[in-house]
Amino acid sequence: MRISSSQMFRNFSKWCLGTISAVFIAGTFHANAQGDALFKAKCASCHQTHKDGTGPKLFQVRTKWADGGAKDGSIYQWVNNWQAAAASDPYAQTVTTYSGAAMQQFPELKKEDIDAILDWVDAQPDPAAAAEGGAEGAASPTTTAVEEESSNGWVWIILGVIFAVVIGAVSGVRRQLKSAMADSVGDADNGTYTQEFKTWAWKNRKYVGLTSLVVVIALIVSSFLGLYSIGVVEEYHPSQPIQFPHAVHAGTNKIDCKYCHNTVTESRTAGIPSVNVCMNCHKQVNGRTPEQQEQIAKIYEAAGYIPEGAGKYTGKTKPIVWNKVHVLPDHVYFNHSQHVVVGGLDCKQCHGDMTKQVETQKVWPIQELNKIEGNIVLTKPTLTMGWCIECHAEKEISTGSIDTKNDGYYNEIHKRLLKHGKSLYGKYLEDGKVTVKELGGWECAKCHY
Amino acid sequence: MKLKFTAIASLTIVAASTLILGSCTADADSSGLEFMPDMYRSPAIEPYVDYGEIRGRENKAVKMKLSAFTPPSYTIPYYGTDSSKVMMMLPYHRKAMLPFRETHGMYGVDLSANDEYLASAVDVNPFKLTATNSEEIFKAGKTLFASNCAHCHGDAGDGNGPMVASGAYAGVPNYKNLTITEGQMFYSIYYGKGAMGSHSSILNKKEIWTLVHYVKKFQNAEYGKFDANGAVAVPASID
Repeated sequence: MRISSSQMFRNFSKWCLGTISAVFIAGTFHANAQGDALFKAKCASCHQTHKDGTGPKLFQVRTKWADGGAKDGSIYQWVNNWQAAAASDPYAQTVTTYSGAAMQQFPELKKEDIDAILDWVDAQPDPAAAAEGGAEGAASPTTTAVEEESSNGWVWIILGVIFAVVIGAVSGVRRQLKSAMADSVGDADNGTYTQEFKTWAWKNRKYVGLTSLVVVIALIVSSFLGLYSIGVVEEYHPSQPIQFPHAVHAGTNKIDCKYCHNTVTESRTAGIPSVNVCMNCHKQVNGRTPEQQEQIAKIYEAAGYIPEGAGKYTGKTKPIVWNKVHVLPDHVYFNHSQHVVVGGLDCKQCHGDMTKQVETQKVWPIQELNKIEGNIVLTKPTLTMGWCIECHAEKEISTGSIDTKNDGYYNEIHKRLLKHGKSLYGKYLEDGKVTVKELGGWECAKCHY
Repeated sequence: MKLKFTAIASLTIVAASTLILGSCTADADSSGLEFMPDMYRSPAIEPYVDYGEIRGRENKAVKMKLSAFTPPSYTIPYYGTDSSKVMMMLPYHRKAMLPFRETHGMYGVDLSANDEYLASAVDVNPFKLTATNSEEIFKAGKTLFASNCAHCHGDAGDGNGPMVASGAYAGVPNYKNLTITEGQMFYSIYYGKGAMGSHSSILNKKEIWTLVHYVKKFQNAEYGKFDANGAVAVPASID
């Protein structure tokens, strides 16, 4: 790795700073711990040490103010009552233009407290510099998410065509030679391809008949199998405007599915988050690697947000057009809230383990869904009707049991079943559970209008 | 002569079929063959997707141009037979402040020039805790908190959620250090505060007031506890 002189100087100055602050730490350990606690309690929700946010970064802010020509002690006045400081000091007045958000007043902080906070802040290392060093070594997870789109299909087609031409040419030559030979011998039998084939087929009619029978049956079977695959969308993985890694959001950062897909408990659809939900975190999180920054910049563009400095919304928004992955035909009614709230299903039963999905979402094939712990094992392809009703026949209704005090839908059904007679209930309970199917989950009109 | 003709003819067929096959381009975003394509991409605009189809014709001007929207103002439903709950769901009477346009993207909503955050300090939680409902409210609050807040604020409300622990996010306060009133908590969740964005598009007023109760429980473990007579064990306000 080549280190430029400026970098070396920076490293050197950082080292100097580190040594100096280490000396300071040794001397003023108590004050430092107090500064840490005070910073976290009073400042951290708006200020960061090395990054502008809701408030400007606080690293060496005293030097910044002094260099900017601020009056002596005006920074302390600012913390106590920023309006008063802005009124008396022209430099403090310029600080008020940082962002539209006004700072809270902290009249309870004494000069020593403020110095303790700022001493602690100045002693903090820059996390961005540390991350830069780390990023060089480790490849980012998003790079693996970029998909290889080219396929080898065309190579095979071209090779096949060439092969066919070669066969045709060789057999043509062979035939010409043969006919030339026949001419020279004086044989009149100068048959065409068809005639030749007919004689050959008649000679070997047993084999030809058997082979053609096998071929015809195979064709019929394969065409039926082909028909069965119509409408089966397993592994459907459309392109998306943003390479969204679920693994980072739901996996590393453990954000609940229901935060972004927040209508899942209320509505028929789970909900694609509108961009303001993305911005709840991404206002601050702007990506560590260039790949991440490129993707997050698309969110900023859609939200009409300029991340520089304090950050600013312009109001010029632009929709992000996602490609829908799980599409059901219009004659099927599916309701997410019914499955998630009433049925108590986990998202992973149908959508797979998103905490590990680095690429954008796809329709998970049933084999992969079955591997996930806690999932009901099913056999039919994902998103087909067979898959739905198979699950309805398997899934036990545990919520809405007869013991609960609620007068819910399922209790009503339980009551009616009891009224109907113990025999029917007994039949249902032969396998030890009451399934969705037994409470009407296989009725056509449940899902079809 | 005849031979030459067949050779030319077969070559032409091969060349033509190559060209025809070559012109077949697969749509990478197609999900494959469907029995009734018009049942999958219908003229009705489906949630989050507009295929721009009208009776077999395609309206390119609208096709795939829009996706998820933020709910328009005042469209969060409020209904029910309990008048206190209906009142709770009425539109919020406090407005966002003018700077919120640039700091929190509050465009297209009514704004106020006054400091409504300060004014909201006097608002009280209309969702009253009683000896009978407190357990239920805290349970609902816990569920809401786990999905909507815990990734930053932490399961214990200490501002050290998995987002902060992983190093992705910084500056989340510990609830114990907050000295704001419940009205201001509501205002902050509804319109956002500092780095936090507005949650008015994903939580309704009843849910936010439920969360306010739950957050106050972090600040004071005795909050919302009732003695044997059903009287409040500690004053509801700890400010």
